[in-house]
Amino acid sequence: MNKLFHMPAGVRRTALTDSGKFFLLAGLVVWLLTLGTQGMGYHWQWYRVPRYLFTTAGGVWKAGPLLQGLGTTLEISLLSLLCTLIIGLTAALFRLSDSFTARALARSYLELIRNTPLLIQIFFVYFVVSPVLDIGAFASAVLALSLFEGAYAAEILRAGIVSLHRGQWEAAHSLGLGVFDTYRDVILPQAVRRVLPPLAGQGISLIKDSSLVSTIAIYDLTMQGQKIVAETFLAFEIWFTVAAIYLVITFSLSFAVRALENRMNGLPIRGAGGIA
Amino acid sequence: MSTNERIIEARELTKTFSGGVVALDRFTLAVRRGEVVVIIGPSGSGKSTFLRCLNGLEEIDSGSIVIDGIPLDRHRKNRLLIRREVGMVFQSFNLFPHMTARENIDLAQIRVRKKTRTGAAETTMNLLAKVGITEKADRYPHELSGGQQQRVAIARALAMSPKVMLFDEATSALDPEMIGEVLDVMRTLAAEGMTMVIVTHEMGFAREAGDRIVFMESGRIVEEGDAERFFAFPREERTRAFLGQIL
Repeated sequence: MNKLFHMPAGVRRTALTDSGKFFLLAGLVVWLLTLGTQGMGYHWQWYRVPRYLFTTAGGVWKAGPLLQGLGTTLEISLLSLLCTLIIGLTAALFRLSDSFTARALARSYLELIRNTPLLIQIFFVYFVVSPVLDIGAFASAVLALSLFEGAYAAEILRAGIVSLHRGQWEAAHSLGLGVFDTYRDVILPQAVRRVLPPLAGQGISLIKDSSLVSTIAIYDLTMQGQKIVAETFLAFEIWFTVAAIYLVITFSLSFAVRALENRMNGLPIRGAGGIA
Repeated sequence: MSTNERIIEARELTKTFSGGVVALDRFTLAVRRGEVVVIIGPSGSGKSTFLRCLNGLEEIDSGSIVIDGIPLDRHRKNRLLIRREVGMVFQSFNLFPHMTARENIDLAQIRVRKKTRTGAAETTMNLLAKVGITEKADRYPHELSGGQQQRVAIARALAMSPKVMLFDEATSALDPEMIGEVLDVMRTLAAEGMTMVIVTHEMGFAREAGDRIVFMESGRIVEEGDAERFFAFPREERTRAFLGQIL
């Protein structure tokens, strides 16, 4: 909160008053929520939720449908994340290429993907592309997601690359480094550090967007939640639980990237090339 | 120190920038092996553009450049070959900020000269000793002073064992008290017989270290000559006016 509101100098803030305010605010939100649900007469049955997370029948721990769905979601997200980076980097380099064909190709890809809804792209890949390529629903999901997020990652990476001082290119060229070596050793290490925060944001979007693959019959976290709600009518309990699980994984990702950023910030990325 | 063999031959270079500014206007200059040529002139006279054309950082509109027998033409391969033989030092240092001094100097040896890590390390330490900053080998550029950064940049260019070194206003971005340490390194190189083309505003240095002075304006050579003669008896009116302004 210190950061959020600018406080005049001399006002003393302590961790105690800060946490006090935080809990006051959180309490207020909970109170409003309770008030709202009471108003619509919803009967909360949280005790029925745990069995969908895991069961311990006969002392044997077994993942319930929600955790199984989480496994699928993580699998799709991780694979797509990897492909997103590869596609994004390729598209970014194509856009910056000297070749007209490469630039046109990258441009069409970016415009096409960024100006149509992801849901339609998933349907398109699943119903039109997958029979041609003879791939299943899972591969279709990964393909559609990585193509979509790759377009955004490409623009983020391109922004990072063009933000570097021209002198970095010139220094590399004057040493006789080729384009490949220049990108690998000089340009990309600096560019990626600069765009790590927005790139992480794209990764988080990817995890959330992966919930759309439930539409092509993949039993990810969202699909499992949907199924349970249909069977049990525990709409709020299950959806809140599902949302909380998404929150945990996206938050862990942010946390990991933050740690990475801090580690990299030990090294200089600003003040490139001596005089800025 | 210099021989009669021409290592750089630039003929009839023209270069016009997109705004219509003429940077080089049928500019012809040959440099002999081991010669130290200092180019001076008012800003915007095309000095830096000429240097940048010599290693292909800037494209010439017409004319021809041959360096150590290799023509700088449209062939990417020749361009890379020339860049390996021509070292360049920039006004703004352009060190790679994510690498230590040592890594900056290692890079091209490993990637371009295909040396092993240990082979490169030896050359690197020798060069750092030569420019007098062995103790800063593992520092990042932002931890070094401007003068130290520029000396690392010189070492980085020398690591390729170039046949020619280009200096593009190498001391212009430095605080006055750091100019000397960089000029000292350049003096040493000149004394060792390195072929150098230097763009600078340091007239004292030009006179003392240069074999030949070239005075440029509007993309053309106004006057050139032996360093002592040039400063003592400038022939052209324009040269006298320029020297009068800055000396």
